[in-house]
Amino acid sequence: MSAKNKVSRRKFIVRGGLGAVGLLAVGTYVFRNPIRRSVLEVAETLVPPYSGSGMSANLWFEITEDNTVKLYSPKVEMGQGTFTGLAQMVADEMDLTMEQVEVVGAATDTGVVDALSTGGSLSVAQLWDPLRELAATMREMLKTEAANKLGTTPDQLTTEKGIASNGSQSLTYAEIAKGVQEWTIPDAPDLRPRSAHKFVGQPVKRVDLAPKVFGDPIFGQDAVLPDMLHACIVRPEHIGATLASFDASEASSMPGVVQVVDKKDWIGIVAESYPQALAAKAKLRVEWDIPKVWTEAEIREMLTVGQGNKMVTQKAGSALDPEDPEVFSLEFSSPIGAHAQMEPNGAVAHVEGDKATIIISTQVIGITQNQVADALGIPKENVNVIPTYLGGGFGRRLNTNHAVRAAQLSQAVGKPVKYFFTRKEEFQNDTFRPPTHHIVRGKLNDAGQLSGLEHHYASGDVAINSVIMPAALHTILGTDVGAMRGGNIQYDLIPNHRAVQWHTTLPFATSWWRSLGLLANTFAIESFVDEMALRAEQDPVAFRLSQISDEGEGKRLKAVIEKAGEHYREGARDGRAMGFAASIDTGTPCAQVVDLSVKDGNLTIHKVVCVMDCGIAVNPDQVKAQCEGAINMGISAAMHEKMTIDEGRLFPTIYGAYEMALMKHSPRDIEVILLEGVDRPLPVGEPPLGPIGAALGNALRRITGQRFTDLPIKLT
Amino acid sequence: MRFRLFIASLLLMGSFGLAYSLSDRLPETVPTNQEVTAEDPFTLMMNVLTHKRCVNCHPNGDRPRQGEDSHYHNFGVVRGPDNHGLEGLTCNTCHQSENDDFSGVPGAPEWSLAPIEMYWEGLSRTEIAHSMLDPERNGGRNLKELVKHLTEHELVLWAWEPGVNSEGIPREPPPVSKEKYIEAVKAWAEAGAVVPAE
Amino acid sequence: MKVSFTLNGAPTEVETDEQTPLLWVLRDQLDLKGTKFGCGKAACGACTVQVDGTAIRSCSYAIKFAEGKNIRTIEGLGNRDNPHPVQQAWMDFVVPQCGYCQPGFMMATAALLEKVPKPTDEDIDRNIVNVCRCGTYTRMRKAIHRAAELHQSQNLKK
Repeated sequence: MSAKNKVSRRKFIVRGGLGAVGLLAVGTYVFRNPIRRSVLEVAETLVPPYSGSGMSANLWFEITEDNTVKLYSPKVEMGQGTFTGLAQMVADEMDLTMEQVEVVGAATDTGVVDALSTGGSLSVAQLWDPLRELAATMREMLKTEAANKLGTTPDQLTTEKGIASNGSQSLTYAEIAKGVQEWTIPDAPDLRPRSAHKFVGQPVKRVDLAPKVFGDPIFGQDAVLPDMLHACIVRPEHIGATLASFDASEASSMPGVVQVVDKKDWIGIVAESYPQALAAKAKLRVEWDIPKVWTEAEIREMLTVGQGNKMVTQKAGSALDPEDPEVFSLEFSSPIGAHAQMEPNGAVAHVEGDKATIIISTQVIGITQNQVADALGIPKENVNVIPTYLGGGFGRRLNTNHAVRAAQLSQAVGKPVKYFFTRKEEFQNDTFRPPTHHIVRGKLNDAGQLSGLEHHYASGDVAINSVIMPAALHTILGTDVGAMRGGNIQYDLIPNHRAVQWHTTLPFATSWWRSLGLLANTFAIESFVDEMALRAEQDPVAFRLSQISDEGEGKRLKAVIEKAGEHYREGARDGRAMGFAASIDTGTPCAQVVDLSVKDGNLTIHKVVCVMDCGIAVNPDQVKAQCEGAINMGISAAMHEKMTIDEGRLFPTIYGAYEMALMKHSPRDIEVILLEGVDRPLPVGEPPLGPIGAALGNALRRITGQRFTDLPIKLT
Repeated sequence: MRFRLFIASLLLMGSFGLAYSLSDRLPETVPTNQEVTAEDPFTLMMNVLTHKRCVNCHPNGDRPRQGEDSHYHNFGVVRGPDNHGLEGLTCNTCHQSENDDFSGVPGAPEWSLAPIEMYWEGLSRTEIAHSMLDPERNGGRNLKELVKHLTEHELVLWAWEPGVNSEGIPREPPPVSKEKYIEAVKAWAEAGAVVPAE
Repeated sequence: MKVSFTLNGAPTEVETDEQTPLLWVLRDQLDLKGTKFGCGKAACGACTVQVDGTAIRSCSYAIKFAEGKNIRTIEGLGNRDNPHPVQQAWMDFVVPQCGYCQPGFMMATAALLEKVPKPTDEDIDRNIVNVCRCGTYTRMRKAIHRAAELHQSQNLKK
């Protein structure tokens, strides 16, 4: 560990002795290594540095009287297992047991929150260095104090299971911290080597397992404040519609209704209970201005290669001539995708004078704080955003500006208000995965290798127009870095290869959806590459391997392809076949083999083998869980999901009609094999969504003879 | 397209049919020359019984249908051993004895699928009528019991109070009013339960 | 109206509009937050509870139907000291990710096991049709088989 990456001592602020309950040690960490590389590179391959908020007396750790170390996590837990990974890192550096570490999400008032977001599969990867350094520093601080109390020196002390001991005398961390007003901060110590890790690298159980199995009230939906009222909001069904007028006379007199709040461009209904608010909403008569009734065909037309803003995102050698008879090309498409996270969006808000409290499931704590402060015209510091566990994120909660509405409703009625979306609103007012269109071209040389490969792809907004990316970014880069994920050609030995993005902002919101462009881009490229392998009469695994160099990430990509290739068998037998695909996303390569069969038009996925190199797997079991989840979500997106536009409205508006993978569609078995090609953790949550769509299509190609080019794949 | 075929089948209903007498005993089939008109009891009755509110739960197979477009019931819902769904996924998992306006889930007493032998899906009007009159396929009902079922059973009459769907939009009731339908069923039965020929 | 029922073994009475969905009575009047609101349309299964042993979607179940019934929610399925076999199996296989849908799945599974003690893969596929967005299905299937074993051995001991 080089000196420049160590905790800045000056910035390690300490306070102590906050009341009888807990004894506090506090610190803030500011990563001192600025972003040195271009944003584009960062977006595609690197883990951007963690950017903690502010210099105020934020705290990371609290040592409680029962000798538990509470970590205030700057990242939220939305199922990805981050809290568990962070706890493992802390336990190892502070010499604690897993039971002695408690992880809670930091609120803006109580801790450091990530100024940007929880997303991009980055949480563990970003905090790998800073959190371990903080924990190690904390341990050394405790040893120093223990030495003072025991009349010895820190080097005489060893720490284990939350106890510092010199062999004859010992103190628990809680005993050490008790009464300490001023801490001595040692130089940042060296971090534990891998060989000394007791928990990092082990499949320890999730720290939130029991609360999630016993139904504890841990989600945003479960939040309660005294005297709280319940609200719903009226939203337009039509794309681009705005409120023209409304008649609330009947709604206002419905049982339990406290107030119908007219905010000019939206209406809120506040009642004593949520069903009362919903019942009143059904009685509200609303007229909408619908400037245009959009059709599916119009949206499709807008999103066609050749339309919109063109940006070459990758270029090597010369372009293929589409008129060349030896150039083979295929068109692909993917539909509008809904997040469909299980917990509807919403917030509990309490506005009192110039102060606001927001309890919310969000991936963007800091941005939500700003949004509420701006809307209410109060200082940011007066808004305390308290994150809860998230009932799914998947990118949907990277814009939680609905917190503003909850705050405004609370302001209007002078009481705490809980408000959330109905499921129909979720489906019609999502920040959708944009539909895409792709043209992939390739040419084989005499040796049966690709001499050229091009990916031209059209997408709606992913990163562009999102609250977590600066508006100027688009102008600077000209590229939607989110839509770009997985869009470039990973076969760098192909002499002529390029990727061209066509970007168009659609009339409805599209944005981040787990893995961003990766799902559709990989489906297009890897389906095409598979087709070229068949045309070249080559084994699809060898075909891929021969066209990747050892440069950059190539070696690691080849390693996962080789490993997964051991599980691949070519050809169909009795309606059963395998499909192979590989991708690399945010530096994490992943290859998958799908083994499936089709009988009477019904698909059964027998097994998926997933080989991934995410570097150090802090918790291998949870890395595997992320792969399993991504595979099931990818199957869902590739085989089932599709939003459509009907007379200006997005449909469907309910689960079931919005077809998703269920238990019966999930693979009977998923085997995850992890490689460790680098000595630090890399992103995990999204990369395994890359290959699955193409792997399914490639297997089906062998059974049916048909090349499936449009998602969702429909067997007829 | 389906609508056109439907009209065609109406036109095809010829002048030959079968008659039944309204007794406790199921009648013998008797040929008649009764004419089919748009307002005759048989047509009125069948306008109801061939409506999706009825046919969705009289499927030809083990999968109920739902919605105005009669798509297969979402989530792969199936008949189960007793027409009430499966052990862990019964009809009552979602459907209760009344419509639920909050969820838009329809409900009525004895919410269930018609037994498989009572399937109507894909049958012509006359085939449905023959099926209804066949004790092997009507649950062993005689004509009186059949009329009672058709005119009094709450699950049948639910069709006229089908509630709202998941979007809060009222479901489409059958194209004949309940009163007119009940009248038509009784008149048809009293007139001998004549089934016109195809 | 007043409605009386047994909730997780305890006699319970609530006063509310008779059409109020059981879900909201449980969550907001009785403060049992383990039963989740996912869609309010009986489609996702996050609100699944047991009524007289049958898996019921509580969002489409008017409270008036609860009169005299025996209702069980995730809070009454088991606890940390004495987990239900389904909960034990869920912990053994570390099933939950975000966790939001899990109470509904566990309640549906527990109801299934009372009627089909040893479900096959096909039984599981046909009966357990709740929605999990995190995609924990693959582990869930394993956990259901384990839960069936635990449940059977527990029943043998009785």
